[in-house]
Amino acid sequence: MGEKKKIVAFCCENSSYKAAGAVTESSALDLVDIVRLPCSGKVEIGMVLKCLEKDHPGVLILSCPVDNCKYITGNLRAKKRVEMVKKALQNAGIDENRVHMDFISSIDTYKFVNIVKEMNDRLLNTHPVNR
Amino acid sequence: MITAVQKPFEEISEMVKGSQNLLILGCGSCVTVCMAGGEKEVGILASILRLANKEKGVSMEIVEDTIERQCDREFFDDVKEKIERADAVLSMACGVGVQFCSEIFSRQIVLPALNTRFYGATEQQGVWTERCAGCGDCVLAKFGGICPVARCSKSLLNGPCGGSQDGKCEVDPENIDCGWQLIYDRLKSLNLLSRLEENEPVKDWSSGRDGGPGKIVREDMLL
Repeated sequence: MGEKKKIVAFCCENSSYKAAGAVTESSALDLVDIVRLPCSGKVEIGMVLKCLEKDHPGVLILSCPVDNCKYITGNLRAKKRVEMVKKALQNAGIDENRVHMDFISSIDTYKFVNIVKEMNDRLLNTHPVNR
Repeated sequence: MITAVQKPFEEISEMVKGSQNLLILGCGSCVTVCMAGGEKEVGILASILRLANKEKGVSMEIVEDTIERQCDREFFDDVKEKIERADAVLSMACGVGVQFCSEIFSRQIVLPALNTRFYGATEQQGVWTERCAGCGDCVLAKFGGICPVARCSKSLLNGPCGGSQDGKCEVDPENIDCGWQLIYDRLKSLNLLSRLEENEPVKDWSSGRDGGPGKIVREDMLL
């Protein structure tokens, strides 16, 4: 049996990564592999697809709030890439909900937990890979 | 550079249907710069195909590689074995690269993943526009460095047509500048408007597409 694959969360180190770091006790932490990025604008289409290809059930891209990106437009760049990934998945007949983007600040600890749990719930219904 | 865009996924998927061992081969030159067929795009297309195949329950081994150029014979040496092992090669080069690969490996099926578009420049990040039509008889010196063959939708050589309005072309007023407006403005800024008083004779198109497939032979370079 292969290892149980988790949701991959690409987190901007200026916002969502800090929010995730502040979560002390939550089952949500068992559901995700957190990948620290210097900016969500660093996320690439190939990286997201590779996670899905490697049987991770879903991918989260968590960036700074809109209009509050440390690098001005990194989160908007990430948003465009996520849109392209979703379009590519749609074209290939794959559930586009396996990829989700959200915008949270460094103090949105509660929101981080909720986003992970909601993603997990969505995937349980649509894509129960290795679960 | 030669610019290209990826074909719709559905078309690619249909082309490679039935292949058991597919090589996706990128090109490290022009199509890498215009972000259509370089190493990164090869990885993306390979991932999408693998995911789609898994979803459909199709068994297909997909191998990825990218060479420096697909329009030069020597670069194929590095991937010779991979090409020969594959039952189909999905080339992410321009039309030149696809044909050259198919010519060198004449027993292999070589398929195009891109639609080749034009000779263009990177106008800004993510935007490429046509600059040259490869007519084989460059007239840029006469028109202030702006090509009426490539930049005018009708390739007119003696002034604009009636479809030029507010500096835009009637073919697509939102996206295409009138080439002749550009020529006029450039010559005006260079104080060379008098050049437009000269009539341009009928162009000999035989050095371009009308002369059949082009060929250049440099005797001094032949081995």
